[in-house]
Amino acid sequence: MSRLFGTLMLFASLLAAGCDSAAPAPQNATPTTPAAPTAAAPAAQPASRGIIGVSLLTLDNPFFRVIGDNITAEGKRSGYETIVVSADGNVSKQHDQLKDFIVKKVAAIVLSPAESKSIVPAIQEANKAGIPVFTVDIPCNEPNVKIVSQIATDNEGGGRDGGLLMIEALGAEAGGKVGVLHAQSRESARLRVKGFKSVLDEHNAKHPGKFEVVAIVEGDGAKEVGYTATLDMMQAHPEITGIFAINDPSALGARTALEKLGKADNVKIIGFDGQPDGKKAILEGKIFGDPIQHPDVMGVEVVKAIVKQQNGETPEPRLQLPTERYRKAEAEKEAKAMKTPAPS
Amino acid sequence: METEKLTTGRRVRTQFMGIVSYGMLPVLLLLCIYFSVRTYSEQQREGADAGRASAAAILKQFGPHPCVVIVAQKDSPPEAEFVTTLQQQLRSSGATVAATSIGDVGDARRALKTAVDAGKPVDVVACTQVPAAWPLWKNLAKDWPNLGKPKIMTPPTYMWPNFLTLSNLSNITERISVIAIIAIGMTMVIITGGIDLSVGSLIALSAVVSTLLIQNVGGGQNATPMVMILSSFAGIAVCGLMGLFSGAMVTVFRLPAFIVTLSMMLIARGIAQKLTHSEAVADVPASYKWLGLGADLFNIPNCVVLLLILYAVAYVLMHYTVLGRYIYAVGGNSEAARLSGVPVLRVIIFTYVLCGLLSGVGGVVLASKLKSGSANYALMYELYAIAAVVVGGTSLAGGEGKILGTLIGALIMAVIQTGMLLTNVDLDTQNIVLGVVILLAVLFDAFKRSGFRFPGLRGEAN
Repeated sequence: MSRLFGTLMLFASLLAAGCDSAAPAPQNATPTTPAAPTAAAPAAQPASRGIIGVSLLTLDNPFFRVIGDNITAEGKRSGYETIVVSADGNVSKQHDQLKDFIVKKVAAIVLSPAESKSIVPAIQEANKAGIPVFTVDIPCNEPNVKIVSQIATDNEGGGRDGGLLMIEALGAEAGGKVGVLHAQSRESARLRVKGFKSVLDEHNAKHPGKFEVVAIVEGDGAKEVGYTATLDMMQAHPEITGIFAINDPSALGARTALEKLGKADNVKIIGFDGQPDGKKAILEGKIFGDPIQHPDVMGVEVVKAIVKQQNGETPEPRLQLPTERYRKAEAEKEAKAMKTPAPS
Repeated sequence: METEKLTTGRRVRTQFMGIVSYGMLPVLLLLCIYFSVRTYSEQQREGADAGRASAAAILKQFGPHPCVVIVAQKDSPPEAEFVTTLQQQLRSSGATVAATSIGDVGDARRALKTAVDAGKPVDVVACTQVPAAWPLWKNLAKDWPNLGKPKIMTPPTYMWPNFLTLSNLSNITERISVIAIIAIGMTMVIITGGIDLSVGSLIALSAVVSTLLIQNVGGGQNATPMVMILSSFAGIAVCGLMGLFSGAMVTVFRLPAFIVTLSMMLIARGIAQKLTHSEAVADVPASYKWLGLGADLFNIPNCVVLLLILYAVAYVLMHYTVLGRYIYAVGGNSEAARLSGVPVLRVIIFTYVLCGLLSGVGGVVLASKLKSGSANYALMYELYAIAAVVVGGTSLAGGEGKILGTLIGALIMAVIQTGMLLTNVDLDTQNIVLGVVILLAVLFDAFKRSGFRFPGLRGEAN
């Protein structure tokens, strides 16, 4: 019995030690940047205004990490603590995370829904508890939920930017046959493809050089799926000279496939997002260009909306951030700026 | 050997007399105490409670007839309750409520204007937490010279561990309910020496089948409770059939349980995806949430009541019936059990069917919680269920284990997860701690069984 007790105590103390050493980690994780030397500095350090609970679709994708990091940083500046968790694309996990936030009585909940229909009951619980809910990147447009503000990229506009880049890549006069790497289950991808097609249609109505979408295949927004889908697509339509991929991973998959087929120089690729890998590929000329999103701005805008709401004002119910066209020229400019550090 | 195993039932009963037989129970208690201490903090009052406490504080400080303005946020039921209660309590004791505002800064400003127009100096502005931080109050004396010099008051707070709040405790049990339910079946399968990897996928299948039936056959949003119940049973039955199939494969064809249930995991998930085309099935009545999110009996969530009933039944089955003894016997030594007349084949098949049925129940609970069915529900739940079983002291080698131990195991995992969230442990560390806890639990189990010596060093030079 005493041996059993001893082992128990050992077990418990190990556990306690584990938790204790873990506790300061969040503070270490975000290096304490000294407050910017502005007049507002003293006012920027009010007593904690509470916690922002953030549940993002997945932290495997660097895109969402950037959103989370920026919410944390901007939140700190405005006097909030932030907890960022990953739903790992799993809506039941996200449901539990939201319920945890409610118990923790957070000041605000930010989420990018893993499944906008199935997350409804959890949002309703937050509404019932009086905790304001915000979405970032992925909106939730279901009835019977109250969401203070939805912040996302203007995906259709981004798709239009993608169309413009495609016209630029293949030449407005020359035209060409185009393939699309889709991710049909995602609403964002559907909007992107819609915008992309509409620009090509408008162009075709006015110019002699015609662009024709000859194939739309499922790339699932993933590198390996994009790779095999591109191989199949090029087999069926060897005449394709341009590929529009709905995100960077699938665009990079397409590039690998074209390299394997020896067609890398004949086919231009337009990606989407402007993730670090994508930007690097643009700099190296492997991808022609991207409509780039601004996950950092999204994170900052969410916190601004929260602050506005908590100050008793009413933030914009929807904020659609425009994309920007990013080509080799912009990539080189950015690379140069990185090399010569900004004057401090 | 066989006689020893056959009397396991009695042995378990005698062991239950001491807490020692549930080695993990003290660990659970220690964890609860630890997190209670760590989360001992200032608690905000909410709703009617906040209203009552505020009224008492205001009357105490400003005498029986103060003039009060009440400010709260919109879109929040607790805040509305705060306002109604406070207003009613103040008025009944003779105080003046000059104006109330449930809304944004603009509304609050209008309320102040109303109070100024009424002409009586305002003694107190009673705010809830968030409005109290509005910049509106910073220059109150300058911006509103005719208001009197009101004091901004928020509801009084109190100290209490955040971990030990009713809402947190019901949250812990509710979040673990699905995993704890499937862990019952998993415990029995593991005690027979098997394993079932298909439970997570079966949850998704059951959720999808029952919601699809409601949506497409039962009238969608207008489905009656009877239709919902029948659809749920259909989903559960489908999972039972899948379990029957696994059991038959494992026993009749002597295929390894690991491989059979791995295949069933893929098959069930695939069927669910095919049925839904990977979209959520959400066209179900609002009342479908009753099982997963309702709380009718003393505010205990309905799914937790279901969970407790299932554990009670399973406990009786395992410890007070012949079938229960057979299950232990089969896991201890199936050959010996067969020779002693235990219907080994039927016992094993029974455990897989039960495991399937319980997964089906779990699927219905989850679908109800999320008010929809989707093929990507319950990913990795099989591993969490196995972890709960093992943490609860059941041996993966079979023949040993306790149903209530599994419940404790599941609770330990839920307590750790929720506790870490409440104490602001970051995400990556949470995974590490959870992994370490599972490992320690198994280690503890191994030590216990070898009499607290290093099991691998027995017989080596000491």
